[in-house]
Amino acid sequence: MINLASRDIAHGFGRYFLTSVGLGLLIGVTLSMAGIYRGMVDDAKALLESWQADVWVVQQHTLGPFAESSNLHDDVYRNLLGLPGVAETGNVTFLTMQVKQGESDVRVMISGFEPGRPGEPALLMAGRPLTRPHYEAIADVKTGFGLGDRIRIRRNEYTVVGLTRRMVSSSGDPMVFIPLKDAQQTQFLKDNEAIRNDRNRLAANPGLNRAGVPGLLDAVEANQFSNRNVNAVLVRVTPGWNPRVVADNIKRWKYLQAYTGEEMEEILVGKLIATAARQIAVFLVILALVSAAIVALIIYTMTISKIKEIAVLKLIGTRNTTIAGMILQEALGLGLIGFVIGKLLATLWGPHFPRHVVLLTEDAVRGFIVTVVICTIASVLGIRAALRVDPAAAIGG
Amino acid sequence: MEPAAPIPQPAILLEALRKTYGTGSTAVEALKGVDMAVYPGEVVGLIGPSGSGKTTLLKCLGAVIEPTAGRITLGGEVIYDDGWKIRDLRALRRDRIGFIFQAPYLIPFLNATDNVALLPMLAGVSNGHARRRAFEMLTALDVAHRAAAQVAELSGGEQQRVSIARALANKPPIILADEPTAPLDSQRALTVVRILDQLAREYRTAIIVVTHDEKIIPTFKRIYHIRDGRTVEEQGEGLEISNDAAGATHATAVVPQPA
Repeated sequence: MINLASRDIAHGFGRYFLTSVGLGLLIGVTLSMAGIYRGMVDDAKALLESWQADVWVVQQHTLGPFAESSNLHDDVYRNLLGLPGVAETGNVTFLTMQVKQGESDVRVMISGFEPGRPGEPALLMAGRPLTRPHYEAIADVKTGFGLGDRIRIRRNEYTVVGLTRRMVSSSGDPMVFIPLKDAQQTQFLKDNEAIRNDRNRLAANPGLNRAGVPGLLDAVEANQFSNRNVNAVLVRVTPGWNPRVVADNIKRWKYLQAYTGEEMEEILVGKLIATAARQIAVFLVILALVSAAIVALIIYTMTISKIKEIAVLKLIGTRNTTIAGMILQEALGLGLIGFVIGKLLATLWGPHFPRHVVLLTEDAVRGFIVTVVICTIASVLGIRAALRVDPAAAIGG
Repeated sequence: MEPAAPIPQPAILLEALRKTYGTGSTAVEALKGVDMAVYPGEVVGLIGPSGSGKTTLLKCLGAVIEPTAGRITLGGEVIYDDGWKIRDLRALRRDRIGFIFQAPYLIPFLNATDNVALLPMLAGVSNGHARRRAFEMLTALDVAHRAAAQVAELSGGEQQRVSIARALANKPPIILADEPTAPLDSQRALTVVRILDQLAREYRTAIIVVTHDEKIIPTFKRIYHIRDGRTVEEQGEGLEISNDAAGATHATAVVPQPA
């Protein structure tokens, strides 16, 4: 038996192919949206994996440094080291800011860490770890900085000595790692005018500037203008210890909140990315509806344009199932070509997105199944129109 | 004493056929008791003014609309009798009735051969056999040289020949032609009628030609004139229904040859 669908497609291939390209663009956008969500999850996981922290210790009643403001004293780590099962600890700070890069600026997340302790980026793609206590930085390649470049952060300049890859915050901002002390200063540094005002205010306070106690004002100033806070303490547990047990101990022991690595991942993926994921899901639904509408319209138009031929086919004894099969195959062909084009486009333009795009095979398979379902549903309109054609319409004017 | 000639069995027999559209005060009686008999190998004209019921009659014969009353017998088998009808009308149309339309109505995305071969394929004939049969029909209609051409590449006359070949592809005992010469000039119209006449004789097919075409009306040996839903049979000159030694019926139409 002749395959009517393939002949019809071949007959009007130009129009059919252009429609497929249009559908392919939509499918490409859909796959890219799914890829952006996967990329966000992947980035979150990559960031956490890089630090290799078994437990995240943060301010009590907070969700940690990424979701909420969290401040801890930087000597908390000493107490943690005294707990059973705690092998290593490391203070970290996080601060999102704009930094100058040539004529433009780039949004980055500054992370302070203590070299050689948890919080240090594990893998460098180029350069070396920080070796000096101040003014050296490790930057993610996505910042656009290269080795030897100088980054101005607030009042100080940092030399890039190492580069990382795929180290971005949950917002997609690339990371810049600097020494903890520098980061603490940066995070809580006031501008010169504010410092001068504060100093004048302290000096004018007779309680703090006593004539008989010459060192008091200096001590108060030193306390006021230095920062002893960090945003989190990363803990690595002793081999054989369950991070869950260690985290529970920390929570019981002091007024601190402790999350295992899995819990922190859940916070990042389940809470921080949740809104973005919902937004992407809404977009995906809209795109699916638009795709369905386009396929339905095209298939319906193609069917209506050959109503007389369908009447003749029915008159000469063609089964309804054969005609419905022809329309369904044309719709599925549209989806198949559109999907191949969409997948190709998503793969080609994926690397040019500002955010990391991860195109998973299982997402492609899901996308293909959804495309098939959409095309099948969309063909119903055309099939309905074709089945309504009266064979008698072929006879007479 | 010579033995009596066998009584020929009509390929198409209509008895008191009625068709009413609508009900109550809006009812329109399109056919008011049509009687008609067409024999194998015969080409019969069906003429009448617009709205007289020609198309309704053709649709009833083509098993695409159901009559209101009466009886239709095709090849000796009753297919409709006062509300009763045979089950598989689609198979009836596919296997026993060929259709020729005013416009060729070829399937535009199939070539000439496949347009003709589609019918045998629908009847379950294998692709190879169907295409061979299609080529045979195209040869009979003198368009075999255009067998691979797409519909858009065929001239109007070639398209009409291919549509006739399609109607014959399953070698149906009956062909219903609806204004087959309307878009053609005199010469081509007469050619089509001559082809139909030849095919009727060669394949023993009963052909009803619905027409308004003054050029071809005189060529029919027998004409049914339909007016106000009723038929009047008009005998053309020299019409003979004869039986050969095998008992087969012949009807000969005098068809002018094109200049």
